[in-house]
Amino acid sequence: MFLRLVTDSFRRRPRHKLLTGAALALGMAVATAALSVSLDVGDRLAGEFRALGANLLVTPQADSLPLEIGGVDYRPVNAGVYLPESDLPKLKTIFWHNNIIGFAPILEFTMGLYRGSPETHPKYTGQIDANSEVSVIGTWGEHSVRTPDGATFITGVEKTNPWWHVQGRWFSENAKECVVGQQLAKRQGLKVGDTISLRGQEIAPKSTTVIDDEGLRISIRGNAFFVVQGLVSTGGPEENAVLIPLEAAQQLAGKLGQYRQLYVSAVTKPEDDFGRRDPATMKPDELERWSCSPYVSSIAYSIKQVLPGADVRVIRRVAEGEGRVLTRVRTLLWLVTFAALLAAALAVGASSAASVIERRTEIGLMKALGAGSGMVGSLLAAEQLLLAVVGGGVGYAVGILLARLVGEKIFGAAPQPSLLVLLVIVGLAAVVTLLGSALPLRRASRYEPAPILRGE
Amino acid sequence: MPDRRMFWRIIRGLLGANRGRLFVILLALGAGAAVTAALLNLQVDAKRRLTTEFRSLGANVIIAARNANPGEPSTLSDELLQEIPSTVEGQRVSATAFLYFLGGMSHSSTPKDSTAVVVAGKSPATCTVGARLAAQMGFHVQDEVWVENQNRKESCHVTAIDSTGGAEDDQISIPLDAGQRLANQPGRISLIQLSVPGTPTAINNYISVLQQKFPDADVRPIRQFTEAEAKIYNRISGLLTATVAVVLVLTALCVMAAMTNVAMERKNDVGLMKAIGGATRRVLRLFLAEAALLGLAGGILGATAGILLSIWLGKAVFGVAARPRLIVYPVSVALTILVAIAGAYPLRRLASIRPASIFRGEA
Repeated sequence: MFLRLVTDSFRRRPRHKLLTGAALALGMAVATAALSVSLDVGDRLAGEFRALGANLLVTPQADSLPLEIGGVDYRPVNAGVYLPESDLPKLKTIFWHNNIIGFAPILEFTMGLYRGSPETHPKYTGQIDANSEVSVIGTWGEHSVRTPDGATFITGVEKTNPWWHVQGRWFSENAKECVVGQQLAKRQGLKVGDTISLRGQEIAPKSTTVIDDEGLRISIRGNAFFVVQGLVSTGGPEENAVLIPLEAAQQLAGKLGQYRQLYVSAVTKPEDDFGRRDPATMKPDELERWSCSPYVSSIAYSIKQVLPGADVRVIRRVAEGEGRVLTRVRTLLWLVTFAALLAAALAVGASSAASVIERRTEIGLMKALGAGSGMVGSLLAAEQLLLAVVGGGVGYAVGILLARLVGEKIFGAAPQPSLLVLLVIVGLAAVVTLLGSALPLRRASRYEPAPILRGE
Repeated sequence: MPDRRMFWRIIRGLLGANRGRLFVILLALGAGAAVTAALLNLQVDAKRRLTTEFRSLGANVIIAARNANPGEPSTLSDELLQEIPSTVEGQRVSATAFLYFLGGMSHSSTPKDSTAVVVAGKSPATCTVGARLAAQMGFHVQDEVWVENQNRKESCHVTAIDSTGGAEDDQISIPLDAGQRLANQPGRISLIQLSVPGTPTAINNYISVLQQKFPDADVRPIRQFTEAEAKIYNRISGLLTATVAVVLVLTALCVMAAMTNVAMERKNDVGLMKAIGGATRRVLRLFLAEAALLGLAGGILGATAGILLSIWLGKAVFGVAARPRLIVYPVSVALTILVAIAGAYPLRRLASIRPASIFRGEA
């Protein structure tokens, strides 16, 4: 009988039910779209922030103080300490290896720049910049690292410094190729396809830079000529430098298998007060919780553990700026979601209240026929719940489609539909419709059937 | 005119007849208007705030000397600092000037061993030591630090230890005038760092203004930050616009559906009016006027609530209350009225209703 009454109510007034259902579905679509976008967007935004480039800097622990002004390091190349390149694949073995989206080692020193290869200019007569040396940066353009678990990982400055634009192409790792900074190229009239050679000098004028014997010897052996493959514009001191493959730089500097700086770009969680604490002062369970959150400092900590002798520093400017903006944007999105949920709930509640109010006559009739208030209430509640489940389900589907549209348009990737959202939405729909109908129902239960049936 | 007086009397009657229904309609319309007003107000404000927030990344534009000869550091006149436009679109540009040189640093004025470091003369004046440098040389806050260069000496008391993860960790910064005396370069600076707020377009415009103003200097954006900012800004503002648009459209539809639901139950009233000789057009006009009035009331109430809500939201997110924008108010009220009328519009179909069948309780 109960079921018959419920189904009958749907069959008798399909348009009314459709409208209430539509209001419900639309309200829940708002809620679903807003919820799935803000659930999904946090991670994606964190990825977007990697456009800022590296947020961690690895340097040798026992290094001497760098004396660098305007991109020129005034230290002799054999001063200071280096780190072994062979340790780098270990970066992809740390707990947060999936968060590390790129790293690039740097070996930097200065050398004399000559036009032409040793073969065409046996006496190196074509020196450019007669009185000074240019800075030479050995690094990875696009390099594949074989990780200990057998996978390959493509990384290099392309990943860590996405704002570097190369006109032409990056050097290939095993060829005698280089990329020249745009300003240097413009000043010296270097173009893609030109050949340059690099040579160390015994005594560099006006600075303390000395290239060690080995570097000189190797360059004389004729290994140090490079074909320009691209011009790089960076907006920084690299525009006055020559970029060569790391391996070639190691040979020139006589530092085989070594590097001096490593830039790491990692997706992180914005630091809160807990994240900023010093791991040395934490209790074991706190330390565990700390290292299980991808704070930039806990990633730095785990990198430090796989790279012995290294000092891992957080590039505060990037990491903190990123964390701050990210936190703000996330809060903003959550509040927008909250506002949307609230509006949807109010509108849906109003709609179900309206649907109860208009059925006063029916309620009066039922009561006149001897139905108790509880009976009437549970009948209406069952109807509303049925509507909530159907409307909520439809609204969820529409909302997911909308979220997909927004996600694809803005991030190029659709958010994953999540079961949690479905449960929350259907639950919310049920609560809101019941609450919305509860008020008029309570008033309805106080109705005397007679005046209602008389139409008063 | 008695006809008009009658019209308003009927409307009053329609509105007052059922308090519960009135409340429900106002709730639905008000909720829609509140969300519209809050989101519209917040959206404009949030985008502007976001660009301010990006300034926590620090400087994004550099003015340096045009480098005629790259191994040799060249300098600029510090008078440039006064000529920089100090605001962009009403927001303050902060400028910091630096003069870099190599100097010796030690704990006392007559050091047995001084360490060679990069010294940055800095304006606004500071006396800070980089974290790594401080750790290596054992400097703490309040210590006196001596910097010397070619027998010229200056000292200051350390006010802070800088930990940036960048080159500043290995440098000492002292007031600019002391630096200029030490380096024997009075009135000269190496570069100026500017922190320019505003949208990516505004920053680019500002840079081209500077480039025209200082043809001898090299004005360039710090691309790492300007490019990333532009990219992130576009994404976030796109996301915000899209979310707000979706929420607004759906809220409007949702309110409309609720309103239609309410309107449908007026069948009896329409039937009665038609039965006693009301022309369809007049009856319709009556109901649309009622809807418009409700929309106005709901809109005014809701928009007020919404603007208050956005002020609170702005405070919660950015720590600064969102500035209420007056244009948002009429826009959201107008939108609400439109939605209310659109919601009542299905009554048009009731024109075809035969009063008799309604009274019999059919349809």
